[in-house]
Amino acid sequence: MKPKYKQVKRMTAFMRLNHWVVAFSMVGAVITGLYIGHPYYQTLIAEPAVMKYVMAWNRWVHFMIAIIFDVSSIVIAYLYFFSRFEKPYKKIIPTAGNIKEFFEVIINLVMLNRRKKFDSTHSDSFNTVFFLLFHLMLAWMLLTGLQLYVHGLESGLSSIGSWWPWMLHLVTDWTLPVSSWMIGSTATGTNIMDVRIVHHMTMWFILSWVAFHIYYQVWRTIFWKEGDIGIVVSGTKFVKEKEA
Amino acid sequence: MADRIEGVKKLFTSKSARVETNKGDAYYEKLFEKCQARIEELKTQQPINNRLDITDVLEMQGIERRDFLKWASAVTGMLMLPASFTPLVADAALLMNRAPVIWLELSDCAGNSEALLRSDGPQIDEIVLDIISLEFHETLQAASGHQAEKQLEDAMETFKDKYLLFVEGAVPLGMNGQFGTIGASGETMHDHLLRVAKHAAAVVAVGSCATFGGVPAAAPNPTGAVGVMDVIQGKPLINIPACPANPANMVGVILHYILTGQVPELDSLLRPKFAFGYRIHDNCERRAHFDAGEYVEEWGDEGAKNNFCLYKVGCKGPMTFNNCSIVRYNEGVNWPVGVGRGCIGCSEPDFWDKYAYERPMADAKIKAPTGGVEKTVDEFGLGLLTAAGIGIGIHAVASAVAGKKEDGGEA
Repeated sequence: MKPKYKQVKRMTAFMRLNHWVVAFSMVGAVITGLYIGHPYYQTLIAEPAVMKYVMAWNRWVHFMIAIIFDVSSIVIAYLYFFSRFEKPYKKIIPTAGNIKEFFEVIINLVMLNRRKKFDSTHSDSFNTVFFLLFHLMLAWMLLTGLQLYVHGLESGLSSIGSWWPWMLHLVTDWTLPVSSWMIGSTATGTNIMDVRIVHHMTMWFILSWVAFHIYYQVWRTIFWKEGDIGIVVSGTKFVKEKEA
Repeated sequence: MADRIEGVKKLFTSKSARVETNKGDAYYEKLFEKCQARIEELKTQQPINNRLDITDVLEMQGIERRDFLKWASAVTGMLMLPASFTPLVADAALLMNRAPVIWLELSDCAGNSEALLRSDGPQIDEIVLDIISLEFHETLQAASGHQAEKQLEDAMETFKDKYLLFVEGAVPLGMNGQFGTIGASGETMHDHLLRVAKHAAAVVAVGSCATFGGVPAAAPNPTGAVGVMDVIQGKPLINIPACPANPANMVGVILHYILTGQVPELDSLLRPKFAFGYRIHDNCERRAHFDAGEYVEEWGDEGAKNNFCLYKVGCKGPMTFNNCSIVRYNEGVNWPVGVGRGCIGCSEPDFWDKYAYERPMADAKIKAPTGGVEKTVDEFGLGLLTAAGIGIGIHAVASAVAGKKEDGGEA
C-alpha cells in the first residue's frame, strides 16, 4: 500500500524570503569577491577607462551585498531566540534528546535512509547544528569583511560620520589577532594580511557547506520522497503518515 | 557612564590605528605654547659638540631660506600640525644639533644608513640628518674596535638619559644571541642593545629589520631574529619601518621630539601615525586605474606602458600603511609604484613572508591550515570543495543503488 502523506509547514514567508536573500547575496558576494581578490574579467572589456570602473563596481556590489547580508543576519540572530514559529536555539542545546536526534540523523544519512528513527516534521538537531556552523562562518565573514573595510577609513572619518569607523573598530578589531593566530603569526603577531587570507579561505568553507546543503536537501527530496526542497519555495513539505 | 563608555572604547580600540587629524583649537594653542617654551629653552643651550650650523650648510648647498621655509611648512603638514606651527618647526630644525643621537647597527644590510649616505643631491631632510649630533654610528665613524667602544661609553655617560637611540637591524636571539656579536669584546647584539638602551630617552627602531624583524626574521628565521620592540621594555619606543625607512619620517620623529620633548602619537604597531596612519593605496597615483579595472597583466605590456594599476602583478598598496605615495623617496623624486613595480608592503610586519610574493593575494602561496604544506588559498579551497563533491557523489551513487534495491523489494 502506498504511504499517505500529510503536509506540514516548515518555513514562514519571511524565512523563505530571507533564505533567498542570503542565497543570492552569497552568489553575488562570491563572484565579486573572487574578482576583488584576483581581477580577471577586465581584459574582456579593456576599452579606455570611460564609463567603466570595473573594480569600483565590483567593490560597490560586494559592499552593498555585505550590508544586506549583515542586516539579514541580525534579524536571523534575533529569530534564533525569539521566533514565534520555532526557536532554533532549542535544538542546539546539548540535551539527551537533541544529542540522540543529532546522531540518529547522521546514522540515517550514512546508512542511506534505512533507519529513520527521528521525527522529520520539524527542523532536527543535526540540521540546526549544521546551520549554526553556517551562521558562525557567516558572522566571521561579515566581521572580517568589516575589518578589511575599516582599513580604508583610517582617517577615522566617513561620509556618515566618525561613529561608523569607530563602531567598526570596536566590533571587529579582535578579528586581527584571531586571524593571525589562525594563520600562524610570527615574530610580531597581528597582521592585516591574515584577515584577508582567512576572509578568502572562509569563502571556500562556506562553498563546501553550500554544496553539502544543496545535495542533502535534494537527496532528502528524492530518497525520502517528502519534498523537502519545497520548504524554501512553498514553506511546506510532506511527511509520510504512519502506515495504517 | 561617560567614563565607562570611554573605558570600553579604550579597551576595544587600543589596537587600532585611527588618526584624529584635528584635535581642536584649545589643544593646539596649548601645544603651541609648550613647543615655544621648549624651543626657547633649547636655544639657550649650546650645540652639543659645536659641529655644523644648519643655516651655513644650507647656504653651502645653495638652498635658500625660502626653500627651507617651504620644506618646514611641508614637514608641518606631514606632522599633522596646523600651518601656524611652521615657524616653530623651522626653529626646531635649526636646533637639531641639540639632540644627541646614538645609532646602533645590528642584524641587517645597513640599508638605512646606506639610504642616508648615498642620496645624491643632498636635500634638506638628509642635511638635517647630517646636522643632528650623531655621537656614535658604527658604519659612519672613523673609530673602530676599542676606540669605538670608548666613544660609545663616553657618549652614553655624557648624555645619560638624554640621547635618542636609533637602532637599525634585527636582534638575533638564537644560540643565546651568538649569531651576532659586536666589537672587540664579542658582546652579543642583544646585550649591546640592552646596555645602550638602558639610559636612552627614547628608542627609535629604523627600518623593517629593527621594527618587526624584517628579512632576518623571515621564515624559517634560523637566527631567531626579532624586532627591537620584542626586546626593549619600559622605554618610549618608536617604530619607523620600511625598507629602507624614509629619511623624511626619521626627521619627522626627531623634529617632533625637539618640538615637544615627547614621542609622536603612535599606532598599535608603535608607528607614528603622521606617517603610517593611512594606506599608500588611498593616495596612489594609479588608484583611478585600480577602480577602472585597468591592470598591468605582465611586465612591459601595454598596461605597463600606460601606467595602469599594479595590483595584478602583486602590488600590496591596499594593505600597506605608509606615506610613500605622498612623501616618496629621494626627496620626493619617485617611489616603487611610480617606477612601475608594485608595493611589497615593506612597512608591514612579516612583509617578507606575507606580502613580498609579487602576486595578487588570491595567488598567494601561503601555509594552508592543514599543516606545513605550501598551498595557495584557492588551491586549498578547490581541494576542499572537490573533497566535498566526491563525498556527495559517493553518497549519491550509494543512495541510488540502495534505493533501487528497496524499490525492487517492494515491487
